[in-house]
Amino acid sequence: MDFVQVQNLCKSYPDAAMGEFKALDNISFVARAGEVFGLLGPNGAGKTTALRILATILQPTSGTVRVFNYDVTTQADFVRHSIGFVSNNTAIYDRMSAWELVEYFGRLYALPDDRLYPRMEKIFRKLQMEEFRDCPGVKMSTGMKQKVSIARALIHDPPVLIFDEASLGLDVMVARALQSIVMDLRDQGKCIIYSTHIMREVERLCDRVAIVYKGRILDTGTLADLSDRHEQTDFEELFFKLLSQGDEPRSPMDIRLDLERLNAANIAALKAVN
Amino acid sequence: MNWSHVKLIFHREVRDQLRDRRTMFTICILPLLLYPLMGMVMMQVAQFHREQHVSIAVYGYENWPSDQPLMDEVVDRQQIRWKKIPAESELFAGLDPSQIKSPVDSAVSSDPTIANSQIDSLTAEKLLKQVEADVIVWVPKGYQESITANPIVVVSNQRWERSQLAIRLLADRLDEWHRNWVRTRLSSSEIGTSIVDPPRIEQIDLARPEMKRAIVWSKILPFVMLVWALTGAFYPAIDLCAGEKERGTLETLLCSPARRKEIVWGKLLTVMCFSICTAMLNLASMHTTASIVMSRFSNLGAIDMVSALGPLPLHSMGWLILLVIPISAMFSALALAVASLARSTKEGQYYLMPLLLIGMPLVMLPMIPGVLLSPGTSIVPVTGAVLMSRALMDGEYAHALLHLPTVTTVTILCCLLAVRWAIRQFESENVMFRDSERSSMSQWIRNVWRQREDIPTANESILCGLLILVCLFFGRLSLGGMPLSWASIVQSTFVIQLGMILAPALIMATVLTKSVRKAIRLHAPRPMDLLIVGCLAFCLHPTYAAFAQAVGNEYKLGDQTTSMLMQFDTILGTVPVWSVILVLAVLPAICEEFAFRGFLFAGLQRDNGQLRAILITAVLFGLSHGVLQQTITASIMGLLLGWISIRTGGVACTVLFHVLHNSISLLLATQSSRGTMPPAWLGWAMESNHGHLAYTSMWCTLSAGMAAILVAWLATRAPTVAISQPANSFPKNVTGVTSNS
Repeated sequence: MDFVQVQNLCKSYPDAAMGEFKALDNISFVARAGEVFGLLGPNGAGKTTALRILATILQPTSGTVRVFNYDVTTQADFVRHSIGFVSNNTAIYDRMSAWELVEYFGRLYALPDDRLYPRMEKIFRKLQMEEFRDCPGVKMSTGMKQKVSIARALIHDPPVLIFDEASLGLDVMVARALQSIVMDLRDQGKCIIYSTHIMREVERLCDRVAIVYKGRILDTGTLADLSDRHEQTDFEELFFKLLSQGDEPRSPMDIRLDLERLNAANIAALKAVN
Repeated sequence: MNWSHVKLIFHREVRDQLRDRRTMFTICILPLLLYPLMGMVMMQVAQFHREQHVSIAVYGYENWPSDQPLMDEVVDRQQIRWKKIPAESELFAGLDPSQIKSPVDSAVSSDPTIANSQIDSLTAEKLLKQVEADVIVWVPKGYQESITANPIVVVSNQRWERSQLAIRLLADRLDEWHRNWVRTRLSSSEIGTSIVDPPRIEQIDLARPEMKRAIVWSKILPFVMLVWALTGAFYPAIDLCAGEKERGTLETLLCSPARRKEIVWGKLLTVMCFSICTAMLNLASMHTTASIVMSRFSNLGAIDMVSALGPLPLHSMGWLILLVIPISAMFSALALAVASLARSTKEGQYYLMPLLLIGMPLVMLPMIPGVLLSPGTSIVPVTGAVLMSRALMDGEYAHALLHLPTVTTVTILCCLLAVRWAIRQFESENVMFRDSERSSMSQWIRNVWRQREDIPTANESILCGLLILVCLFFGRLSLGGMPLSWASIVQSTFVIQLGMILAPALIMATVLTKSVRKAIRLHAPRPMDLLIVGCLAFCLHPTYAAFAQAVGNEYKLGDQTTSMLMQFDTILGTVPVWSVILVLAVLPAICEEFAFRGFLFAGLQRDNGQLRAILITAVLFGLSHGVLQQTITASIMGLLLGWISIRTGGVACTVLFHVLHNSISLLLATQSSRGTMPPAWLGWAMESNHGHLAYTSMWCTLSAGMAAILVAWLATRAPTVAISQPANSFPKNVTGVTSNS
């Protein structure tokens, strides 16, 4: 079941230096229940913009985006109830304890008390947050903060979870813990969109990936598909090769061919999964 | 709108602010400490002030009438320390006091010949310092014989405050001395001393002392309240918007189920809550401290001050507290909107001063003597509320009640507008997610040129409006001195209309946009629109004239302006009608419409900003008329013209309306000064009233009805799809890879 459908999504910003900056240039992908879909790309590739559109924080310039079958522009309220968004930019409040913060968001999601508190207890136990539940945000370490953010995103048990560079700045221990949480969520049948620029994470976590560069998807598919297609088993090499190709000036004809190939790959991947 | 979200956000934000020590200090602790500390300092200063003495040096005291000495003892009871300069003093040898003259203001005149003939003022100043006196008094020779023959020369330096005080005390002393001198002379004659006694007055004041105090307080406290309501609103507002942006918590909230509107309302209520608290605490603290300090002063004998600033009666305090709510609400909404504009708390701080500058005149206006609650003042935001609270304190409940609907409506309207603005900021991606500018100035300019569109941006439009106002200000100042004649009227109209209104708009349109025609919204109108708008100009004129009359009655013109307007009409009566129409109706209509309903409107109505365009252009259009009365009527007219221009899609119809409207007004005004009667066939609409042409009451009523029908007709006509359609800041369908194929 396609929980996230992105079709021909474009996003442009007015930009003082370049006039108009195309952050996203016609990207399309789908993500299904029970899979981790990775968005892999260097910094500034447009991953965050795409995920912000999924989270209804930004409006698409054109194209359609459906999350849990709700349209992000016309049914934003429903979309926000169906997602949990953890991003580098979604910080936690300094002057609020972990418990208070999760409680606050739970109430915003209109959870009744008899559902909210048992769920909070469960999440706090599962994420091992009990020892710092009354600690104010300002005194927490980066790892603790990230855990609180995840708890905040999980409180309403959404079907779709979006992690945007969630492992940034985490030490090995916490990053590992995050990965196990993500895998756990996938096993529960959630649809997870996971953006990162770290190769190892992709290899460990993602069922399928899209490689994003300069607002475009260079290639998409399972890791096996990608290495077959590019005849490269080392994923880091593959990534680097794709990016270098993306930098070369291309004729419109090339772009068109690329795109057709990409679409074909997408369809093939879809068929394979279904 | 989900109010439970608003409530949740409000609770969280309040709790968050209460946990912030810095905010709590500024909002709660500071007011409690500030006034007692200020009171303490004031007491110290007052003591210091009382102990201060001034010293007055007197040269030639031996010439003073010996039967009536000027100085009793060396240290006078009135803080004067006298210093007798002996006649043989070397410092004064050969100095002729009549040679010392006050220096001439170099800004006013600079005639070098005056300075040379006098004793240098620097020499005199040195003398003052050498004798260590604040003032030197020269008593001329033979003064005891005739006290009027030669003047006493008093040299002071009014740059020094002690010198100013010394002069005042000396004048009082001389006055007293002179009265005694007259008395002594009279008592020895037959006339008697009673002749110099001034008429006696027994004053009966009906005002109760506490009511007088209430009025004094009511002039001071709104100002204090404004400053604190704004401060109390501003810091939480910055923390809640720019601060959250900086800390990254805003995005967390934006992806939660709370809608932007709900977030704004939740934050607004928080800001308002703190604003009200700060203002109240300040009021209470200031009032208590002042009362206590004043009671101390009453022990010291300063009865006047105590009766002016003593404690307030409780009910007056109540009305003042009630006033806090509208002021806080208005400035909270404004502060929130401005704070959401800021990228960082640092940027937010910069916006406090402009906000304070906007608020200041609104609380200063009620302080002007003679400004009372009236239909005219009640529509001014904040001012109306302040005046109403004063009327309530004064016990004029019926009068206050009469203006309650206007004041409430204006306040609520202003608040809602500010809230709407704030919500728009929150919904705008450019504002919420803009990064700090990366590009350099030259790159930016190149880009503005390269990225020109058919119509200007909103910022460019506002800049143009402000530029026009500044040009007009200096233009009017420099043209002000011209004598009133037809030639000067023509000249100044051309300079103002072409040079200061049309030129900025046209230049900006040429430089900043690709199509001047589209930038000033010039289009081919539909004939039917022209007809409707033309008829509307005729039908609406009587109503407008009545409105202008009412405004004129409410805000009286100064005598000087009235006489100038009369002269103006007389001059217009002496020149051919066609030239008057051409210069004063057609030219201004074209220039003003191209600028205000053209260039300004085009930029402001982008991104569905129709309401914004109408409001801002109307206000700027009003302000471009120099006289207050005209500003009010022109602003209202600007609203109508803005609406017409949206309905008809450009400036063609508004130019027509403007030309016709101006022409009718001019014809009416000049016809009466020409002394001509209305033609007989217009008898149903016009009549002569004390030599002035006026509309018959029948036509007034009829025309208002017809105007309403025409407006309704225009409102229901299908809108023109022309330049009026707002263009998006960037195209909806971005040409991506697919469109290349």
